Parts: sequence; structure tokens; C-alpha cells
Amino acid sequence: MSDAPLILCADDDEDILALVALRLERAGFRVVRATDGERALELARELRPDVAVLDVMMPRLTGVEVIRALRSDESTRGLRTILLSARVQESDIGRGLDAGADAYLAKPFRAPELVALVQQLLAEESA
Amino acid sequence: VTSTFLTQRIRAPLRRQPLAVPTVAYLVGGWAAIGIYFALSSHEQSVLFVVIGLSAVTAILVGAGHQPKISRLPWYLFAAGILCQVIADAITGYYEIHLNREPPLPSAADVFYLSGYPLLVLGIVLLVRRLGGQAGRAAFLDTIIVAIAVATVQWIFFVEAYVRESLPLDARIADMAYPSMDVLLLVAFSQLLVGPAGRTTAYRLLVLSVALWLIGDEIYGLTSSTYVAGGPLDICWLGSYVLWGAAALEPAGTPLEFYDRRTIPRLTPARLTLLASSLLAMPAVLVIERVEHHHVHSLVAAAGGAGIGVLVLFRLVDLVRTVEGARASERVALREAELSQRQLEEQNDRLREVDRLKDEFVSSISHELRTPLTSISGYIELLSEEEQDPEKREHLAVVERNATRLLGLVSDMLFTARMQSGQFNLHSSPVDLRAVVQEIVESVRPEAEAADVDLRVHDVESIPRIEGERDRLAQLFDNLLSNAIKFTPRGGQVDISLGGSNGKAVIEVTDTGIGISEEERSHLFERFFRTQVVLDRQIPGTGLGLYISKAIVDAHGGQIAVRSVEGGGTTFIVELPSVGS
Repeated sequence: MSDAPLILCADDDEDILALVALRLERAGFRVVRATDGERALELARELRPDVAVLDVMMPRLTGVEVIRALRSDESTRGLRTILLSARVQESDIGRGLDAGADAYLAKPFRAPELVALVQQLLAEESA
Repeated sequence: VTSTFLTQRIRAPLRRQPLAVPTVAYLVGGWAAIGIYFALSSHEQSVLFVVIGLSAVTAILVGAGHQPKISRLPWYLFAAGILCQVIADAITGYYEIHLNREPPLPSAADVFYLSGYPLLVLGIVLLVRRLGGQAGRAAFLDTIIVAIAVATVQWIFFVEAYVRESLPLDARIADMAYPSMDVLLLVAFSQLLVGPAGRTTAYRLLVLSVALWLIGDEIYGLTSSTYVAGGPLDICWLGSYVLWGAAALEPAGTPLEFYDRRTIPRLTPARLTLLASSLLAMPAVLVIERVEHHHVHSLVAAAGGAGIGVLVLFRLVDLVRTVEGARASERVALREAELSQRQLEEQNDRLREVDRLKDEFVSSISHELRTPLTSISGYIELLSEEEQDPEKREHLAVVERNATRLLGLVSDMLFTARMQSGQFNLHSSPVDLRAVVQEIVESVRPEAEAADVDLRVHDVESIPRIEGERDRLAQLFDNLLSNAIKFTPRGGQVDISLGGSNGKAVIEVTDTGIGISEEERSHLFERFFRTQVVLDRQIPGTGLGLYISKAIVDAHGGQIAVRSVEGGGTTFIVELPSVGS
């Protein structure tokens, strides 16, 4: 179990956070949770997860700001990130990808889609 | 070239119009009578003179009757003035016919002759003065300038001679009164010439009439010692009568006082000539007297010249003030224009801000609705995976379907709001239309199977290549196919055909559904429109699907149309322009 990839999940909506975590755990990943952007950044620096699944609209730091902070730091630059957001306008998606997110997934999401995306990013990383 | 053209255009309505029939009839009759006049004996001439005069009075009264009430007074004054002249003519005639001599000086005839002038002058002044304004004041000053010049000349050449005459006082007054009255009439005449009266046919006739009258009087003044009644000079006064009557008969459609700003004579050649001759009158008189070795009236000429000089100064001041006033109001207008320009810009900024806030609002509403939907859909998905009981699975499927519907609604509303705020921009790239249609057909196939509807695709080998936004086109076909399945009864079928014609890709979606009435077809693509059948059967929907479909087709430069027979199915035809064409 300890060999399984570590996924950082961050969302201020605890119901959604629980759902995302549950889905990823059932897919065989280890999961660490945060309910705001600042905590997510701390955990990312501390635990070096393999993938981060971040909500955009979070208190203190938004998902986009967390990604910018990760990308500006040498030690966390390589972390793969997915933005998972209910903001679905093109401008929002564009902003997220510009900040350096590897993927943008719209809420509501299908579980198989999320899991497949995480697996894809992990495969790219190891390749 | 342009300005000439404009001037002509603007003045066209005031151009010389054909004379009215009564005017022509009166003119012809009048001048015929004048012709006959010279063939008659002296006594008969006296009678005809009075008859022509009376006809003019009658014509003026008739003409005045056709004028609007407010414009009648000047014409009544003309009638009264000419009537005075006619009475005087009659008295003179009476002396000549019955007493066989000229009337004494002064006689009752002189009283009537002289009292006629002020009435005529007053009439003209009223006719012109009513127009008022700066142009009216300028015309008035010009008139006074002319009047001083004429009065000075009249005094030097006519009146002063009578002052020195060794006649009784009343006779001398009568003799002096005529040239003075002519000065008055000349003043009125120049007022008419330079004033702002519309240049109508009636105006021209009146000017001609007064001019003839003045010419007659002046020639008489110069040749009074040799004047014989019934001679050619009478043509002036008789002609004046006839023209005056004709002017009055011109229809009220072109009333003399029709004020037309565009035809105010500003510095016309006539006005310049009139003013220039007034200014040159004094030096000319002095030169003539000097050359002819007459007594030189230096004092009178100096007084006249000084008067004219002062008035010219007034006129100049007036002009300069007008120009300055115009400049000032121009500056004010410029400032106002700048101000409203600024206000418009501020308003624009506010509107843009309101627009931005609206978008922000719509976007955040959409976000707020999607967030709980994420939990609902996510946990339902989780539950249905775990649930073994078929009945409970069925119930969960109902919840899931409705959550999906709600999500569709939120998406449609967000899309509509963005479309209305003009944020709907197409990201075009080459699109494989066949692949898009296939993908959507596969995605709605479960829906069709559940509804027991047969889904058939009719494909041709070559579909024209098109450019567009793949996701939007997918949304379009999803809308059309979902609609077709929704409105087709069990056991029916939906046909999708792909083809091309005239350089366009043509996609048709035909169902065997309930059809749409002609009246409803015309509203089908309107926002929130729902057909009666849909409302009666409580078929779910927002009335946004076809509105959005049309917007997508429009954005691709294509066309969407519908063909339907009530109860006999519906076909939606989408045409998209191909890139190769």
C-alpha cells in the first residue's frame, strides 16, 4: 500500500472532497486532503505527492494560485496538477491552463474520467 | 458645386410660380383697359381712370378675403389708400368734366391724394415689419439710410423750391407735401426691397407696382409745369393700380409675408446698389450743383451726409455684434458638444461595467449550481454502482437522470446569457462533420433504445469540408437528435442524413413524431418558446434548445430550417458553408 502513488486532494466543499478522495482510494491511490489552498500548498511542499487534484474556488489561495506557487518553486515544479472546477467558462479554463495546470476537469465529473486522468498523468510522469 | 445645388434645392419651393388664373385675368383686363384709355376722349378718360382705380380696390378687397385673417390688415390699408387716390381722381375728374378746369390748389382732391400715401406706406411697413429679428432691424436701418439720402435730394431739388414760392401758405404746403409723401413711399419701397419678405409672385407684383407709382410721381415732380392729364405719364399710375390689384389676387398659398430664413437677402447686389447710391448721393448732389453752377447746398448736404454716416456706424456695430454673438454661441455649442461627448463616454464605461457584473453574476450562479450538483451526481453514481436491488437501482437512475437534466439547464442558461452579452466567439478549425455526427448518434443511442426509437444514419461518401467549433457542433446535433427522440412515439424512427449541395454541407434530422403546426413553426427558434403539445403533455425542457441551435448555426454562417406536417413528423435541415467553396 505504501508504494501506491500519493494524490493530494483539495476542495473547500467537504462532500466533494470526500467523494474525490473515496474514488481515488478505491482506485488504489493513497490520498491526502486539504480544505483550503494554503494547506494544500503546505502539504504539497511537505509530502511531495505525485499528483494534485485542486478545486479552483477555495479560501485563502485559489487552485490557480496554488499551481502558480508550485510552478515558481524549484522543488515542486514537476508536480502534476489537475484543476477540478465548477467554473466552466472558456476564460476560466484558459486561466487555469495558463497558470500551468496539466488538465482541467469540469464539475460535475464522472468518476472513471477522473481516475483515468490521474492514471494518465502518472504514466506520463514515469515515462 | 454642392452649395449651388443646395441653394437651388432649398429655394425651389419659392421659385417663380405660374400666375393664378384670377391674377392673369385681372392683369389682361386691366392692361387692355389701359390700352383703351389712350384712345378715349378726355372726359371718358377721367371716367375710365376712376373705374380702373375702383377695380384695383375691389381686387385688393377680394384678395384680402382669401388671406388668413391675421394677414389681412395691410391689404385693407392698401385698399383704403388706393380708394383715397380714386376719390381724389374722381374729384379732379369732376372739376375737369363739369367745371371744365383743373381743381384749385389746395383742393379736396389734394386732401385725398395726400391722405392715401400714409395708408399705403403703413400697409407696406406692417407687411414687412411683422417679420422682425436682426434681419428686420438691419433692413430698417438700411431703409432709414436710403430715406435720409432721398429726403435730402428731394429737399434740395423739389421742396426747397416751393418754400421760396410766392404762393399762399396752404398751396405751398400742398406742393411741398407731395415730394415728402414720395419720400415716405420710397422708404417703404426700399423696406420692401431689402426686407425679409419671401420672394413670391405677389411680392414681385407689389414691388413693380410701387416702383411704377414712384416713377410716375418723380417724373411728374420734374415736369409738373408741362403735365397734361391723359398723357403717357398716366400709364404709371394706372399700371400701378392694376399691378397692385393683381398682387392682392395672388393666392394665399404664397402670402407675401411668408418668412423664409433661407431667402433673407443678406448682401444682395440690389441691396448693395441701394446702399451705395445712398452713400454717394450727397457727394453727387454737390458735384452736380457745382458743375451746373447752381446754388450749392453745402449745409443740407453735410447734414444729410452726417446722418447717413451715423446710421452706417450703427449698422456696422449691429453687424459686428451679430458676428460676435454668433461666435459666442458657437463656443457655447462646442463646449456643450464636448460635455455630452464626455457624458456619453462615462455612460459607456458604466454600461460596460454593468455588463461585466452581469457576466460575473451569471458565471458565479452557474458555479454555485454546479457545486451541489457535483455531490448529487457523484454520490448517486457511487450508490448505483453498489446497489443490487433492481427496484432501488431504477429509483437511483431517476435521480441521476434529473440531476443530469438540471445540469443541462444550467449549461443552457449560462450559454444563453453569454450569447446575449456577445461573448459567444467561435474558435474555428477544420471539423470532421461525419465523426461529430457519429459520436453524437452513439451518445444518444441508449436514449433512443430506451424510448424504442429506431435511429438510422444515411451517409454519402463525400461531405464538404467545413470549419467550425467541434464542441458547439456536437451541442447542435445533440440538441436536434435529443429533440427528435423525445418527440417520437414508441416504435417510431429518426433518420439522420449527411450530404452536400451547392458547396454546403447539409444535415437533415427527420423524425416520425407529432409534428409542429405552421403557426408554431414561425416561433420555433425564439428564446423560451415551447409548443402547445409540449406544454399539454408536460414534456420537460426550457425552450432554449432550438434557440441555442440556431445561434450556433448562425455563428457558423449557416442556416437552419424546419419542415413539418402536423401529426406526420418533422425535419430539421442544417446547412453549413464549406471551406472549399
